[in-house]
Amino acid sequence: MNVVTRGMRNAFRNATRTLSIVIILGLSIGLSLVMLIAHQAVQSKIAATNSSIGNTVSILPLGGGSILSAGGTLLKTSDLNRVKSLAHVTYVNELLSDRVQPQGTNDRGVPNAPQRYDGTTSLKSPFTVVCNGGTCSGDGRTIVCLPSNGCSNGHPPSNFSLSIPLVGTTDPTNPSNIDASSITITSGNAIDGSKDTNDAMVSQAIAQKNNLRVSSTFTAYNKTLTVSAIFTSDTQDGNQTIIVSLPTEQRLTGATGEITSATATVDSLENLSATVRAISNALYSLADVTSDVDQANAALQPLDSVKNISLYSLIGAVAAGMVIILLTMVMIVRERKREIGVFKAIGFSTIHIMFQFMAEALTLTLFGMVIGVLVGVFGGNPVTNTLVNTASSSGGSVGKGDALGLSTIQNIHAQIGWSIILYGLAAAVIIALVGSALASFFISKVRPAEALRSE
Amino acid sequence: MLQVTDVKRMFHAGDIKVLAVNGVSFQVDQGQFASIVGQSGSGKTTLMNLLGGLDKPTEGRIEIDGKDIAKMHDHSLIGYRSKQIGFVFQSYNLVPNLTAMENVMLPMEAAKVSVRKRKERAVELLRAVEFTDDQMKRKPGKLSGGQQQRVAIARALANKPSLMLADEPTGNLDSQTGQMIFDLLKGLAQSQRTTVIMVTHDLSMARQADVMFQLKDGKFIEEEG
Repeated sequence: MNVVTRGMRNAFRNATRTLSIVIILGLSIGLSLVMLIAHQAVQSKIAATNSSIGNTVSILPLGGGSILSAGGTLLKTSDLNRVKSLAHVTYVNELLSDRVQPQGTNDRGVPNAPQRYDGTTSLKSPFTVVCNGGTCSGDGRTIVCLPSNGCSNGHPPSNFSLSIPLVGTTDPTNPSNIDASSITITSGNAIDGSKDTNDAMVSQAIAQKNNLRVSSTFTAYNKTLTVSAIFTSDTQDGNQTIIVSLPTEQRLTGATGEITSATATVDSLENLSATVRAISNALYSLADVTSDVDQANAALQPLDSVKNISLYSLIGAVAAGMVIILLTMVMIVRERKREIGVFKAIGFSTIHIMFQFMAEALTLTLFGMVIGVLVGVFGGNPVTNTLVNTASSSGGSVGKGDALGLSTIQNIHAQIGWSIILYGLAAAVIIALVGSALASFFISKVRPAEALRSE
Repeated sequence: MLQVTDVKRMFHAGDIKVLAVNGVSFQVDQGQFASIVGQSGSGKTTLMNLLGGLDKPTEGRIEIDGKDIAKMHDHSLIGYRSKQIGFVFQSYNLVPNLTAMENVMLPMEAAKVSVRKRKERAVELLRAVEFTDDQMKRKPGKLSGGQQQRVAIARALANKPSLMLADEPTGNLDSQTGQMIFDLLKGLAQSQRTTVIMVTHDLSMARQADVMFQLKDGKFIEEEG
């Protein structure tokens, strides 16, 4: 037997005390790990969200929709000149967004619904709704098709079709125009967003559905348009869109000099907040002005409190663990003072005896760690989600954050991997060493002659 | 072998100074069995602690085979104690969660003896104190007082010390067992050529030693050889 095995055996000298200490330590370590998991998960989410924030400002008509056919007020291109002249604004992308309806169809989804005759296209929509029990959904639409509204077999009538987004823009290759993060031209050439032409870029899905190639023609708004490029993107919305230049769309729709939205690019993130305020002032009473930062901050605010709570709780739990093992070891050393005196009398050095007690402390802590890791693994995700949901419901709002996926901020998944186990082990070792340090100090002060007199 | 010259040990109890050992001088030869007898509070245990290096004298010299342990550094004293001095205590002081065998092996671990040799020596010593193989595997809680003291004696002899100090080894035992322990100590001292100094308050037992010292108020008042 050596000092380590003797120390480990000593950890089990008093079964009841050992069990109590291991359970309490386990809960302390478990709480530390749960808070560490929560802290890491929240930090990762905050970092990921912050990294997705661009230095752009969204401008929408005040109280208006972002699609022409939805009605409501529009912004004027001339209003945007005030924004373009502001300091730190490097570029303004203007959009006139609409949806065109395949000819001979309606998008109501019920029998006998009237067809649209304005804003129609010769193209067929590449996407269809998926129906289940009379509820059909697709492209963000939900259509209820029951006998009560004339549908006979749970499917919309044959003259139903989803409409096709058509965007007029000054920046045709900007993926944000089509709610995507990438746009790749697979054939042909991009159009010039400033020129009024009859050229259009169509998505590959539309091209395939309608047998289009570069130079093919189709009609929209009763005008013939020519395919100048075919593109793909990384979103479903983007993959069913037609893109034309802003002047072209304004002419085709009759909305001369008008836009449905704009995006201003700021020269740096540091100037973003100030520029948002400047644009708001410039477009006072005309537009809703928001930036990714504002949206992100609103959505992330509850996470900041969770981050702080988890950090303080982590520190508190680790400190509690140290105090537990420290008091335990002090109690054990005092209890075994006479035995320590005997060890010194028969020739063991103070360091040797300290190692024995540290081995005992480490054994207790490692057993506590096993319980702690189980608590951490099974409690990490539920506690993280509870903290986040509680914080989110008591304050902060998602607002217009959906464009950034901020509505999914509550769906934080805590990553529980080997790193957490290693953190738990490190925490256990630190707790044991620090906790037994004071006990070791007492050991060093034990005089054999005095110890052997004690009871 | 053991030469003690004018050793004193003073304690401070508040403003009061207590001379627990007050100028003790004596000599014991190698292999001799010496007893120190005295009433409670006469300074026996303090003197034993000084002789064993568990305490430092306020004045005087304690020489074991020419080495003054009173002047040794604490660190050196630990190593010296593990190899040269064996202790037997009144209350046995065995480690309760170690077997008899493991208790006897302890001093050899402190002296960095190999595991194999520790075990061999422990078995040899426990057989010498008439322990069976089964008894060797028992923990102190499963042994009688006499058996525990035999283990303590075996432990004290583990590293073949030149000096064994027994502080009231029979104090917690009945007279018959006590005499058995005394005889065991004496026999082992002769066979192992170990100098034994035994503290006792039992005059009849003390007189059975080769030389007897009487201690009163920290001083030797009589020596019988």
